[in-house]
Amino acid sequence: MPETKLLFEHAHDPQFRTLDGYLAKGGYQGLKKALGMDRQAVIDQVKASGLRGRGGAGFPTWIKWNGIEKEKKNPHYLICNADEGEPGTFKDKQLMEQTPFLLIEGMTIAGYATQADAGYIYIRGEFVDAARSLRQAIDQAYVQGYLGKNILGSGYDLDLYIHMGAGSYECGEESALMSSLMGERGMPRLKFPHAPLPTVAGLWDKPTVINNVETYACAPFILDRGGEWYATLGASTKNSRGTKLFSVSGHVNKPGNYEIEFGTTLVELLDMAGGIKGGKLKACIPGGSSVPIMTAEQVEKAVIGYEELWDDYKTMVGSGGCMFFNEHTCIVSLIWRTAQFYAMESCGKCTPCREGTKWMLQILDRIVRGHGQKGDMDLLLDVTKQIDGRSFCGLGDAAAWPVAGAIRAFPEEFEHFIEHGRSMVQSEEAKAMAPRWAQPAFSH
Amino acid sequence: MVKLTINGIELEAPQGELIVETVKRLGLEIPVFCYHPRMKAVGMCRMCLVETGFKQPDGSVRMMPKPQAGCTLPASEGLVVVTDSEAIHRDRKGVLEFLLINHPLDCPICDRGGECPLQNNTMAYGPSTTRFIEMKRHLPKAFPLSQYVTLDLERCIQCGRCVRFTEEISGDSDLAFRFRGAEMQPSTFQLTDFESRFSGNVIEICPVGALTSAKYRFRARPWDLETSPGVCTECSNGCNVWFDHRAGKQVRINGRANDGVNEEWTCDKGKFGHDWYNSTSRLTKPLVRRGDQFVPASWSEAYEEILAAFADKGGKVAGLTGPRVSNEGLFLFKRLFSEAFGSDNVDHRWRSGPVPTGPVPRPLPIASLESKRHILVFGTHLAEDLPIVHLRVRKAWSQSGATVDVAYSAANEVERFAKASLRCRPGAEAALAKCLLGEAVWSGKATVSDAVRAELAGFNADSAEEKSGVSGATVRAAAARLGEGAVVLTSDRLLDAPEPPSAWKSLKALAEATGSEFVCYPTGTNAAGAELLGLVPDHGLSTWQILEGCKDGKIEALWLVEADPSSTHDAALETVPFLVYQGTLENEAMAYASVVLPMAAPAEQDGTWTNCEGRVQRFRQAIAPPGEAKPAWRVFAECLLRARPSTPFFNPGEVMEEIARVHPVFAPAQYSLLPEEGALVARESLVGEPAGGGG
Ligand SMILES: Cc1cc2nc3c(=O)[nH]c(=O)nc-3n(C[C@H](O)[C@H](O)[C@H](O)COP(=O)(O)O)c2cc1C
Ligand code: SF4
Ligand code: SF4
Ligand code: FES
Repeated sequence: MPETKLLFEHAHDPQFRTLDGYLAKGGYQGLKKALGMDRQAVIDQVKASGLRGRGGAGFPTWIKWNGIEKEKKNPHYLICNADEGEPGTFKDKQLMEQTPFLLIEGMTIAGYATQADAGYIYIRGEFVDAARSLRQAIDQAYVQGYLGKNILGSGYDLDLYIHMGAGSYECGEESALMSSLMGERGMPRLKFPHAPLPTVAGLWDKPTVINNVETYACAPFILDRGGEWYATLGASTKNSRGTKLFSVSGHVNKPGNYEIEFGTTLVELLDMAGGIKGGKLKACIPGGSSVPIMTAEQVEKAVIGYEELWDDYKTMVGSGGCMFFNEHTCIVSLIWRTAQFYAMESCGKCTPCREGTKWMLQILDRIVRGHGQKGDMDLLLDVTKQIDGRSFCGLGDAAAWPVAGAIRAFPEEFEHFIEHGRSMVQSEEAKAMAPRWAQPAFSH
Repeated sequence: MVKLTINGIELEAPQGELIVETVKRLGLEIPVFCYHPRMKAVGMCRMCLVETGFKQPDGSVRMMPKPQAGCTLPASEGLVVVTDSEAIHRDRKGVLEFLLINHPLDCPICDRGGECPLQNNTMAYGPSTTRFIEMKRHLPKAFPLSQYVTLDLERCIQCGRCVRFTEEISGDSDLAFRFRGAEMQPSTFQLTDFESRFSGNVIEICPVGALTSAKYRFRARPWDLETSPGVCTECSNGCNVWFDHRAGKQVRINGRANDGVNEEWTCDKGKFGHDWYNSTSRLTKPLVRRGDQFVPASWSEAYEEILAAFADKGGKVAGLTGPRVSNEGLFLFKRLFSEAFGSDNVDHRWRSGPVPTGPVPRPLPIASLESKRHILVFGTHLAEDLPIVHLRVRKAWSQSGATVDVAYSAANEVERFAKASLRCRPGAEAALAKCLLGEAVWSGKATVSDAVRAELAGFNADSAEEKSGVSGATVRAAAARLGEGAVVLTSDRLLDAPEPPSAWKSLKALAEATGSEFVCYPTGTNAAGAELLGLVPDHGLSTWQILEGCKDGKIEALWLVEADPSSTHDAALETVPFLVYQGTLENEAMAYASVVLPMAAPAEQDGTWTNCEGRVQRFRQAIAPPGEAKPAWRVFAECLLRARPSTPFFNPGEVMEEIARVHPVFAPAQYSLLPEEGALVARESLVGEPAGGGG
């Protein structure tokens, strides 16, 4: 399948970033229709669309919206997760910079459906341009009555606020994000079944919907063209509907964001990005650095869809941070670098993640320095098992999966590195990619 | 109640009860580190993982794919929990392995060794060998958080108990985590001093030897210590403590649970303030004056000199007692004076001089503060005067949603959570109380007699600013919050302020007129006992009059029991012809004494003390008194016997039986009846109404 441009149809048109330009291209039709509908009918459209969360977990969006109390007894909140911290992912950034009104309209639709009083857009601290673009868009929306009191004469009020994070990956985890938003240390909070769902007691213990930027940005299309229409996109897959943005990077000729319909193959995605560069394809991490790595063989056959990638390859669509690697990539040092990220980003709250991520890094560090020992692979796998599913939040899992996945997919590279103290990949390209201190492992 | 299944056993539990608590009823245990029953569960350490599932409508069980933290999992209908499977043992081993890889394992020199949850859990569930060959984390090993608390960062397992204690219990939020991931460490903000009145508690709740007491560090191994249940006698709150000692010396104080009093906390005064037990200034022998010198004497010689000066001297002799004397001692002191000396000049209030008139309601049990709607803390620096009452007031606010107002003349900790702070000018307490009462009366909230009404003329919210320095709006709002379910709480510190009778009377009237409860807690360790046992002159002289009497020759012999008025009444002590000083430590008053008697400290004798809420608590002898020091009660009993042959008292239990006969309120305190948690005996107010003439 070729690229399917829905969210990104007008992304490169600077006019689309202004309210007038947005309206000229059919913007706000979705909200107008929604405001004329019963709240439940709006949620039903989202249900019919089959939209699932684009932040990583793929949770059905309508269930969250539907979980907010219908008879309003509390203030209701809306949060947009714009922390986009997963390495390899940069789609929300482009969405916010180039199509800010899609997000604002989407949030307004969600806010109307869930009777939200205020919405917070929690933006990763480094995304200054995105925040600026959103700021301008929000200001314009207020001026013309698309935000604030009595939106488009409907009697519905909504205020949107931008909150800049401080660049902690963990603050993208939804409960840690709420802690951070409330002025606390960015650590996750208890979750169901240990505490009520955020839809019951989220931000300031009030009913809260939290969705990813891309998730909200889909809502205007669903409301404008109908949930059933949206569900025709990706109909070839088991249960993935609509389009998905993939941030393609790594050894490709044209890195960037690509919008595809679910059901597209990974090979087609690679082709869109100009194909592999500098050698043959060796591996692919399809959904952000935390999802297990795939071999070139697996990539050949893989169809993009939540179930498709999981059932056949035990990997995930995740956040859509798709990285392709050529034959000069040393998987062991790639995983060492990944492990370093998670060890640095662990918030420290729970034992398995706090201690386990550091230990994995120490072992990988030793291997990359040429001091691997027999048994290190089993030890690494054991450590991942002691983290996976035992940690307080998903960061621990996210740190364990890539290590376990890489050892499963490329065992011979680990064995070789441990046995010989040097990488299996010996080439000038590989050496150039290695950090200076690790270069001895790549010298002939 | 909900039905759930734990390890195949069906049982009922209150909905929402944490599984870690539920399993205890089955006699099972889930190992924990971060969980503490008196603080919010956070699920950080992951030691308590259990397998869980839910009963389906068809009776089958669907197990959840991942283990869950038992310390945060609430009981719910149909919940199935497995605490003892192979998988769970593997998980526990995994968590312990993680905790141990960077742990220094310096158990041989660690204060906690032998009483360490990390050791115990490792013993029960941990791995036997290590797979960790990397470099361990190296961090400061003796980081001084304060003069009392030293942090060994290598031993810390980041459980957050200490941080949460300062946030949830003491409320000073002095500790927080800094850095993240494996670098995360508890710390004070910006590495400033850990300034908390309750810092010592974190040493005890730390599940490893990371937080240590600067005073106890490296001084003993726990298994070399003997411990005795005791009561802290540093203030009137009467915290239950473990009195740890070794070779007859006091070594350490730890909190002991009593839900009615201190829950399980202590303040730093109590935890670190017992050093004086081992002081080189302890009195160990009776001394008698020969010219400019003291010479050691036998008890007999000392008694003879005392009796020669006191016996049958009637109103010419007097006695003042200090705060740490046991109920038994106080009772016999009073009896000695009335029966052997014929004098009613005994008083325990040598700091302030209130004279009681008429009964006021009994003091509120400390725990009952939790159920109040509103508390007005007035004229007392609560955290300093009554630290444990302070924690309860804070708990009432933080856990039961009570509102709290504070009226005091200086910055104080209650202000941190108070709805309003009525920061009055020093000395303006009486005026402020009258303005509050005036406001209540003029706004129609309260009614008072015409006489009181007349006295209140000109006192109201509008005049409050000028009269006390508190804004009218604040006074108006504070007065409005009083009423049913509210308490007006003060301490006898209020009596140190100028115009004590006026402040006290107006405050009491304010409570009564608005339908609020009134409580005035005494601050002296056993002031409540002294009050109940009548250590106040019925017809004789009060403290102030006694000390004045010493100066003008009306008093010829004065007996001080751990009381030292020398700083304010030097001349009185110098002038009085015969002075007995009985105490535990050398002090200023001794300089003027004719006879000095060494006194046993509370832990060196058996006896009871009455705390500020009127709870009589027993402290059994833990260690021997130094040298020839004797418990006060025995000294008085022996004197009494010498002066008047009568049935002797052989032990304090017999004295308590006699107390119960004379003062029936003490009946439940007889040793054979007294429960471990003590008995609330007070019937009336423990601080009488002041009537001028402070001392
Ligand atoms: C460690 C961690 C980091 C995360 N970071 C992000 C993020 O940066 N952006 C995001 O949208 N979701 C992130 N998530 C997922 C969120 O917790 C949450 O699932 C998402 O915001 C829900 O939105 P959705 O239903 O629209 O996907 C993260 C999750 C974890 C465990
Ligand atoms: S898994 Fe644990 S340590 Fe890691 S980020 Fe989540 S809570 Fe923090
Ligand atoms: S110092 Fe002790 S109580 Fe505080 S976090 Fe570390 S282990 Fe826990
Ligand atoms: S005791 Fe449950 S996670 Fe620490």
